[in-house]
Amino acid sequence: MDIRAMLTVILVMAPFGGAILCIVLGSSKAIRSAIVLATGAVLIVSALMLAPLVPFRLSAATFLGVDLHRIIQVADVALLLIILYYGFKHRQLTVIVLAALQLGLTIYLEGFLVKGPLPVERIFCDHLSLMMVLIISIVGSIICFQAIPYMENHEHHYHVMRSRQPRFFFVMLLFLGGMNGLVLFDDLVFMYFFFEMTTLCSFLLIGHDRTTIATRNALRALWMNSVGGAAFILGIIAAYHETGSLGLQKILTPWLAGSGVYLLALALLCLAAFVKAAQFPFQSWLLGAMVAPTPVSALLHSSTMVKVGVYMALRLAPGFTGTLLSQSVAVFGAFSFLAGAALAVGQSNGKKVLAYSTISNLGLIFACTGLNTAESMIAAMLLLAFHAVVKAMLFLSVGAIEQHIESRDIEDMRGLYAVMPLTALITVSGVIMMIMPPFGVLLSKWMAMEAAAQNLYVIVMVALGSALTVIYWARWAGTLMSDPFAGRFRPEHQPALTWLALGPLCIGSALLSVGAPWLYLRMIAPMMMGPYSPAYAFKAGGLENAYGTFAILPLSVVATLGLVVAAVALKRAFRAKIVSPYLSGLQTGEPSMFRGPMNQSVKAEAKNYYLDTIFGEARLTDWVNLGGGILLTLILGGAL
Amino acid sequence: MTETAVLILCGLIAGPVVGGLVSGLDRILTARMQSRIGPPLLQPFFDVVKLLAKEPLVVNVWQAFCAYCYIAAASIALVLFFLQSDLLLIFFVQAVGAVFLVVGALSSTSPYSQIGAHRELLQILSYEPLLVLVVVGFYLETGSFKLTDIYAWPHPMLLKLPFLFIVLGYALTIKLRKSPFDLSTCHHAHQELVKGLLTDYSGPFLALTEIGHWFEVVLMLGVCTLFWATSWIGMAVLLAVTYFLEVLVDNVTSRMNWRWMLSYVWGVGLTLSLVNLIWLHQG
Amino acid sequence: MQGIKRFINQLRAKSPWLLHFDCGSCNGCDIEILACLTPVYDVERFGIIHVGNPFHADLLLTSGTVNHRNKKVLANLYSQMPSPKIVVAIGACGLSGGIFREAYNVVGGIDKVIPVDVYVPGCPPKPEAIIDGVVLGLGKLQAPQERNGERKEA
Repeated sequence: MDIRAMLTVILVMAPFGGAILCIVLGSSKAIRSAIVLATGAVLIVSALMLAPLVPFRLSAATFLGVDLHRIIQVADVALLLIILYYGFKHRQLTVIVLAALQLGLTIYLEGFLVKGPLPVERIFCDHLSLMMVLIISIVGSIICFQAIPYMENHEHHYHVMRSRQPRFFFVMLLFLGGMNGLVLFDDLVFMYFFFEMTTLCSFLLIGHDRTTIATRNALRALWMNSVGGAAFILGIIAAYHETGSLGLQKILTPWLAGSGVYLLALALLCLAAFVKAAQFPFQSWLLGAMVAPTPVSALLHSSTMVKVGVYMALRLAPGFTGTLLSQSVAVFGAFSFLAGAALAVGQSNGKKVLAYSTISNLGLIFACTGLNTAESMIAAMLLLAFHAVVKAMLFLSVGAIEQHIESRDIEDMRGLYAVMPLTALITVSGVIMMIMPPFGVLLSKWMAMEAAAQNLYVIVMVALGSALTVIYWARWAGTLMSDPFAGRFRPEHQPALTWLALGPLCIGSALLSVGAPWLYLRMIAPMMMGPYSPAYAFKAGGLENAYGTFAILPLSVVATLGLVVAAVALKRAFRAKIVSPYLSGLQTGEPSMFRGPMNQSVKAEAKNYYLDTIFGEARLTDWVNLGGGILLTLILGGAL
Repeated sequence: MTETAVLILCGLIAGPVVGGLVSGLDRILTARMQSRIGPPLLQPFFDVVKLLAKEPLVVNVWQAFCAYCYIAAASIALVLFFLQSDLLLIFFVQAVGAVFLVVGALSSTSPYSQIGAHRELLQILSYEPLLVLVVVGFYLETGSFKLTDIYAWPHPMLLKLPFLFIVLGYALTIKLRKSPFDLSTCHHAHQELVKGLLTDYSGPFLALTEIGHWFEVVLMLGVCTLFWATSWIGMAVLLAVTYFLEVLVDNVTSRMNWRWMLSYVWGVGLTLSLVNLIWLHQG
Repeated sequence: MQGIKRFINQLRAKSPWLLHFDCGSCNGCDIEILACLTPVYDVERFGIIHVGNPFHADLLLTSGTVNHRNKKVLANLYSQMPSPKIVVAIGACGLSGGIFREAYNVVGGIDKVIPVDVYVPGCPPKPEAIIDGVVLGLGKLQAPQERNGERKEA
């Protein structure tokens, strides 16, 4: 068997195997942890082994002697029936209707529309797929590792009688396999199956705690994603109708771009992508999903599942170059970027800030996809990679913080440095990596801005959104460090696996930023063919094109130097006299206390500005949904 | 190679020297407008040296860290400007400094620092988009973000980007901490927030923030020169007029609140930049 | 090294930043202090800036009688000023407690709580006298070794 085929099979099937083992043998903690760790290790190794082998195409006709297409058909119907079952169980009419609709459409497509033998060259792995595989396998596995101590604590905290962890890890691993399948297969029907699988997994994981609110939010995620699923299957039908093919690479033939139905197909697939990526007006499922245990949020809602949306859009982009659809996707994405950032400013709930920031960054990726130039596509792919790593790290940090202080509110994290210094520092460095050069997220934002400069709608929204982004991150970082008389540094106690997850993610994302030029040269430049000719040259340690230059390596060196100087200053400051902050001379010597009326000690408190009269959820959500809805209508209508 | 080194050195020296002189001039000019005589020209240098020689007191050790990061970012931004790098990149590096200053202020628990820091964030929120749009204006006119290309452009930019120059004026007023936008901290006496953002920086660390501020002032004035980059006289006249107007505005206006600032700067600034950008786009 | 130190000490005298604290005076002295800042006297000529914050101050100008309520505030402000620092006590009350000296709630003059470098008498002292006191204080900033010696009267 070809090594590439073998790795593909391992990447998709190993998590399924691990998942089944988890549910069968996983009642003991040691065995369960071992299975999760082993699966993760296998995934990481296989993904790394796959790296030098791309790009490739493989045929996949049968699996264990059975026709692969038949297996997927059966599995697809089974999956939809399961969703239908949950719809009936929770008496959710929307879910039932949407699932039934999808079932009908699937049967129509498979039974009546698709004729003749299908081409079997179904596996397609280029550098974009590889990037996704690496993110899913490495970041996803690290998140699963951290979930082991997290869930232990979680169940302890909620006094769960009978551990539901086997089921939890079953779904988590299942999800990893589904994600790998989705990015490795080229056949639309296969992609649709895995798409639905991630929907189901996210439903199960959001509802994991079985509280009323968890169930309600899980159902919301289910029906919204089912809208995406229905759009997906409709898109497949339209695309097949127009091109007579189910292979994604086949249908992306630019000469068809004039055809209305073809564009409608792409627009429907984009709609599915928007839903998956929780773009406005579908953001509420992602926000509701934040009730889930934090590893779930990290895995599904920051670094992997929502990335399916942008992955699909990036895949489809060559199909709609130069069309109105492309432009409206750009404007829609930029709108999401701005609206997500604005809503994040109004939030004091840490996980919601992360959620809105995710929506916002995904919006920027969509905007880049819609701009559809070489520069913007590079920006999109870099942002995809960097955002996945940094955001996973931030989510895991917030998870660790949340279990320690039992709150996810930013106000409660005030002065966290005094309580858990190392986690606070990791979180702050995550924030720095989100907004500052020379780190990767900003590098990609720079590329995005330079690519967007031609499009006035996009650049104005991106400029505003980027300023809002700085606000909510800087505020958070400062709040974490806001500690009277800070001096001591004694790393707090955390489970080894937590450090094992946070440490590598933190160091890894910093190194990845420094290695951005090579990431670009090795992973992205080979993708930039045809209309997207390689845009940037690696010159003098930076990336440069005709109108812009970003000196990555020199800046990294200088930034490191600056950091060293600042760190020396920090060390010397430990020896300086530490005094109380200015409290009009009334301080008592205890941290933040001043002498108030009747000689009573009063705590000096200042809360952050959240500007909720301007950026509050209650005020903005309706308008933002309206805006998103109008733009979506434009996209679908414009396609015709 | 030597040329690069010389340029880097120029940036590192020009920042504090020119920045300090501009600040001294500013104080004299302000005093004259208030029918006073004002301090000597070199007064800002006296102040900074004095502050550097004072006993270091810290409220939170991270404040020291942030002060150093601020000055590092501000000086790197100016050096990049002298090296004629990418304008957008320079702008991002400059923003790093601003963020570190805020984080340093937030790390103190004093309400004065905290509120000052949040006001500073709102100021950043007000001017950042405008600066980006100014940079976009340069791009639409010259087709490049690189300063080498922008300086090489044969026509004075002011004629093509008049509104964007006004917009830059707003950003400049905020960056220079002038009324009516000196909400977070300002150079004149004490205000309702004690010294706002800078309340708990003291001694050497306050000196660092001051020098960092000089770097930023020089950088912003450098961006102003881009609007008349074809002749030295044009540059000098433009700078002199702009700075005089800044001081005048500082003296004839009162401090406003952040709501007014945000709505006014975004409203007027965005409208003006859009008008100018559309004009460029069509023309 | 000695030269640099002397140079810095000279600069200290050229850039004195004032913090003004009113311990509980009748505001007569305070009005006179603020009068120094007007264009008539224009103390910014000498680099004097009136700051609102002990962290930035080199000189502490205090007026009024110290009582049990505000003595801690005075001490706190003094402790938050980075060295080297000078204290100038202004007006009869600041010097000794003035006419309130015997009151039940009064501690006395400023020097009961913090070390005072310059005393400026008067009820209230004229702005010229205050400026003179500050200048005397500057001399002490310039030559710090004298600080431990005699206290001067303006």
